[in-house]
Amino acid sequence: MGSAAALRELQRELETKANDLSKLQKDIGKNHQVRKKYTIQLGENELVLKELGLLNEGANVYKLIGPVLVKQDLAEANANVRKRIEYISAELKRLDATLQDLEEKQNSKKEAIFKVQQRIQSLQAGKAKA
Amino acid sequence: MASSKGGGMEKMSVEQLKAIKEQTDLEVNLLQDSLNNIRTATSRLESASTALHDLSLRPQGAKMLVPLTASLYVPGTLDDARKVLVDIGTGYFVEKTMDEGKDYCERKINLLKSNFDQLIEVATKKKTISDEAAVILQAKLKQLAPASSS
Repeated sequence: MGSAAALRELQRELETKANDLSKLQKDIGKNHQVRKKYTIQLGENELVLKELGLLNEGANVYKLIGPVLVKQDLAEANANVRKRIEYISAELKRLDATLQDLEEKQNSKKEAIFKVQQRIQSLQAGKAKA
Repeated sequence: MASSKGGGMEKMSVEQLKAIKEQTDLEVNLLQDSLNNIRTATSRLESASTALHDLSLRPQGAKMLVPLTASLYVPGTLDDARKVLVDIGTGYFVEKTMDEGKDYCERKINLLKSNFDQLIEVATKKKTISDEAAVILQAKLKQLAPASSS
């Protein structure tokens, strides 16, 4: 009788751990999506910076603000794009760190689940013999 | 890389092979999507390039109909075709001369083409890995089938 109760206990534990794991996996998926978005933006900004770098000093640069084009200094545009690249890079770094953290948590969770499964199996094997 | 992985796949379990196949298939699909995106971007740039070329041939003061919507056109005259505004991304527009504008399109098309070639290479490599996994998986399943029935 005691082993049946223990089995139920273990199964409950397994369930909560599985839930935690799926939550972690969802977070990792979200992280991937956000990272993809930022990577695309970073690439676009780098292209713009390269393009701005090719221009002569007196070139006319306009910035689209809502539906209107506003004239902007080349130097100012350059600085803006640089700042944006910096921000996005920092954000990407932060996302990388959280992703690593999440993956570590995921791995330890998987291991814990495996252990619980093993215990359940050994309990069931003992019961089958008895 | 592909061949060394192929050698390792012989020893893998059916589950592992299935996982590898799924993973590579996913990657191949992603790469295909990227390739399609590059293709559409290239065709858009090409049409922009031809439009610029067309525009450069028109004399100043040429009459034309300007589309306000897809079905409403108003008459207009061409003022100056020597300067064009180019959207370089993230909301920035740059005034360029006609030749610079054409040069911009050329450069972007070349950039996309080189990216496209690189991606194609990766995609074909992934595809061969996926195919290899599929073949070995089939063979393993065939081996297992008579064993389980007997």
